Amino acid sequence: MLDNIIDFASYWWFRYLMVTELYMVEKWERVTIHVIFLTLFCIFWYFNYSVLLSFTGNLFGFVPDVLPGVKQGQGIKVT
Amino acid sequence: MGNLETDAAAPFEQSYATTNGNGKPANPAMEEEEDHETLMQRKFSAPAYTEIKTRKNAAKVSSAHRLKNIANGGYHPAKQLHLNGHAKTAVSDREFKSSQADGVLSPEQEHYQKSSFEEVPLHTACLTYLGFYLLMILGYINQLLFVPKVAKEKGRDGYVALYDAFESFYSRYVYRRIRDCWNRPICSVPGDELTLKDRVTNDYGWSFKFTGTQTRCLNLGSYNYLGFASSTGTCADNSEATARQLGLAYCSSRSELGETQLLADLERQTARYFGVEDAIVFGMGFATNALNLPSLLSPGCLVVSDEKNHASIILGLRLSGATIKVFKHNNMRDLDRVLRQAVVYGNPKAGGKPWKKIMIIVEGVFSMEGSIVRLPEVIALKKKYKAYLYLDEAHSVGAMGPNGGGVTDYFRADAKDVDILMGTFTKSFGSAGGYIAGSKKLIDFLRANSHAHCYASSISPPIAQQIYTSMRIIMGEDGTDIGRQKINQLARNARYFRKRLAQIGVITYGHEDSPVVPMLVYLFSKIGAVVRTLTTRHIAVVGAGFPATPIMEGRIRFCLSAAHTKEQLDYALDVIDEISDDFGLKYSRKPKDLNPIEY
Ligand SMILES: Cc1ncc(COP(=O)(O)O)c(C=O)c1O
Repeated sequence: MLDNIIDFASYWWFRYLMVTELYMVEKWERVTIHVIFLTLFCIFWYFNYSVLLSFTGNLFGFVPDVLPGVKQGQGIKVT
Repeated sequence: MGNLETDAAAPFEQSYATTNGNGKPANPAMEEEEDHETLMQRKFSAPAYTEIKTRKNAAKVSSAHRLKNIANGGYHPAKQLHLNGHAKTAVSDREFKSSQADGVLSPEQEHYQKSSFEEVPLHTACLTYLGFYLLMILGYINQLLFVPKVAKEKGRDGYVALYDAFESFYSRYVYRRIRDCWNRPICSVPGDELTLKDRVTNDYGWSFKFTGTQTRCLNLGSYNYLGFASSTGTCADNSEATARQLGLAYCSSRSELGETQLLADLERQTARYFGVEDAIVFGMGFATNALNLPSLLSPGCLVVSDEKNHASIILGLRLSGATIKVFKHNNMRDLDRVLRQAVVYGNPKAGGKPWKKIMIIVEGVFSMEGSIVRLPEVIALKKKYKAYLYLDEAHSVGAMGPNGGGVTDYFRADAKDVDILMGTFTKSFGSAGGYIAGSKKLIDFLRANSHAHCYASSISPPIAQQIYTSMRIIMGEDGTDIGRQKINQLARNARYFRKRLAQIGVITYGHEDSPVVPMLVYLFSKIGAVVRTLTTRHIAVVGAGFPATPIMEGRIRFCLSAAHTKEQLDYALDVIDEISDDFGLKYSRKPKDLNPIEY
């Protein structure tokens, strides 16, 4: 069972490496690219969370409650 | 050629007996498990090989299937003990359609009906570009952090770089990573099978070490269309006799001391082969294009050239100084447009005066695309606009047409409609060199003016003899029908292989009768993975990627040969089917023909 899952995961990991051309690069280069990917993702996420969300929230005058930490009126004032 | 084989025989038999590609001894009872393990480790231990994963269950099923197949006496390159290079001819000759255009539909409709082409799927295109940029970024980071392991020139301060910077960057940081898939040394005749000399790299392609082992592979990468590449048989024997009689080289050009009866005979034979007045032969195919085009064209001439033409043609055109206009690959509407504009507007540099001459340059079979030129339509256009036609038959001579006469034979066109018939002896004839055939006037002009004739040393006698003998065999002048059988076998192989690939669901390009079959895999990594995996399965193929193809169209190119048997092709196709599942190569979204394909 566990073997099967590991096999499945490693196979699809290999497929993922192949379509991103990471199969043919060295180990450390793979790590570097993934670190870059992750950093970019985090930056975007943070940007979306802190800026875009409150910005659009202000535009439409509402912020969903499900997002803690962003209070009504916080962020950039557009009016 | 021949003695390599005997040299290699002793160690090679030991090594190939131990591997059958699957990591299992061919005959477990005979081989020590340990030996085999160390051998495999030495051969395929690089991360590039160990990282390749397969769908487990699929792999199990198919390897079981394969073992059964081998036990039943099915074909496997590592098992066969016969020497390579023997052309094996077709088994039966029931109701066979030879390599010829049907001529029922109009040439245009027939072309579209018989050509396979599919647009690249959008997500694959995006991924290919993304991957390419990632490779570039990583290359730059790598170059920034580490000194490349290449020789450095010293004492050259203040000089500009001698080599193109991007080219060397590209070959160091993109090509180098999968460099083990190209320029692989072999140590046998490249017949239907060949013997690869194994090498490993421990530093991601910067350097290679020979392991001292060899791998016997099914050869799907040589332009050995008619299977004349052989170290035994009539051709080899005749060439050997000629070498003993006439020596190896004349060390002189033909206008001086290099002329012999053999070359004169060869030229006459070549002219007869195409049914034209005269022919001239040269020692190198590339130079035939590169050095003869400048003697036919000059500044003030217009050349209309297919965009996929070979590098030798492009070099020749640049050397000639003629104006070059490119038309879209095999696109007659575009060719018509370019010609019409050229005739209507004339030469803008000469104030709109007519061009000195207009020449259309196309190839018979395009070696990267596997497509066949639309000759009847090109000839019609050429006649309409009174342009000259230069046809490069490097890949089509011998391989196309019911008599092996090239695309003119295939389309039943009159060879005299093509003003300049050029081709090489390197492919179908299993030799080297090139020819130009045409009217006596043209050939006489070339004899007087061609740089390739006046300055190059003449063809070596054994090489000329190989061409001469194989040409006679193809024409049936040796009194056998071996030539005819070979041509039919190739036609049959090509069609069968293409149909089976279409059934598997991979994208192939080109015409159904062309012996060059490019299979699109798009990504560099996939080229590398496919070539490596096929090597472990004892199949040798050639990959082609940027810059030989557009970035988006990385491919594996299969070249079929008359020397291949159905069993060999079936073996290769089974393996390709399996790995295209594993690697996700089944891009095609066309409906598949599920009926069994008839050979
Ligand atoms: C279309 C075409 N012309 C010319 C040549 C050059 O021939 P050779 O390899 O004999 O120099 C080639 C070789 O691949 C070719 O494909």
